[in-house]
Amino acid sequence: MRVYLLSFCILAFGICLLSSCKQESPQLPYMGNVEFVDGDSVYHTVPDYEVIDQDSQAIRLSQIGNKIYIADFFFTSCPSICPKVTKQMLRIYDRYKEDDRIVLLSYTIDQRHDSVTVLNRYAKNLGVETIRWKFVTGEKDSIFQLADDYFVSAVEDPDAPGGFDHSGRIILLDKDRHVRGYCEGTDPESVTSFFNTIDQLLHEQYP
Amino acid sequence: MSNTLKLIALLFVGGFVFACQPNPYKQGETLYQFHCENCHMADGSGLVDLIPPLSSSDFLTDTSGRLVCLIRKGLPFNEQTRQQMPPNGDLNEVELANLVNYLQTGYTQQAKVVRVEDVKRWLAGCQSIEN
Repeated sequence: MRVYLLSFCILAFGICLLSSCKQESPQLPYMGNVEFVDGDSVYHTVPDYEVIDQDSQAIRLSQIGNKIYIADFFFTSCPSICPKVTKQMLRIYDRYKEDDRIVLLSYTIDQRHDSVTVLNRYAKNLGVETIRWKFVTGEKDSIFQLADDYFVSAVEDPDAPGGFDHSGRIILLDKDRHVRGYCEGTDPESVTSFFNTIDQLLHEQYP
Repeated sequence: MSNTLKLIALLFVGGFVFACQPNPYKQGETLYQFHCENCHMADGSGLVDLIPPLSSSDFLTDTSGRLVCLIRKGLPFNEQTRQQMPPNGDLNEVELANLVNYLQTGYTQQAKVVRVEDVKRWLAGCQSIEN
């Protein structure tokens, strides 16, 4: 009798353990306004503007395909926070460079100075594969509108170091260009926590 | 205990304490954090080939004042990195001396202390910095 009871307890414990493993992790939130159209939730979406990458290729996120995106806004001659943020983007790149589900994007906010040639050289000096990390420019109005839609502040300011004032936020977009998370690119600990956010989105979007 | 033994003990303890001291140039450290850290990073590691690490910079071991001139005047365009280093015209001679001493103590084995008189002399002779 005692053997049967012990076996039953072990079995019950095992079933509990297995069922707990099946519990799905909570979904990442959607950032920005939500509209309700015909009973469906329509989440804030980053526009699919055409931009030019460091190899002079015109690209749209919709054309890159089935990826999640990690983005920041910078300029190559930035004397303030950009190198720190780029260093943290490099940490993210190093962690996920073998993962073809992820593309990193760095949008320049200084279109006048950061030509395709300058961006190309910048990428080379960083030593990164541009299939995984793209440095992009575009129409000034489009890039600043994109910054707004990524919830990043970026403004031209003659009094700011380098002529631009901008935040060092790094943003996570899902496959449908919804903003799903962010971290402060000037804070290495914030970026370390962000790895969990990225992993969670990968798990959610590529079950 | 004889006086000689006391002296030896004092020197030993003093040497030990001195060796364990953190970088003594506190103003230099503060200036580094304010003027340099954004690009050169808190640990001086820089950013791959865009911003070289301080530990490998020959400017830090140079004794002819090129480092002082580099900090004060900046670098308009670095051929290797294709980057600029902004000037720091607002740093005075005392601040420059403290900053240079902080850098050389932290990133080189160089023991020679830079004095304000050295900085004044070097600033007077600053030429444009070449790579």
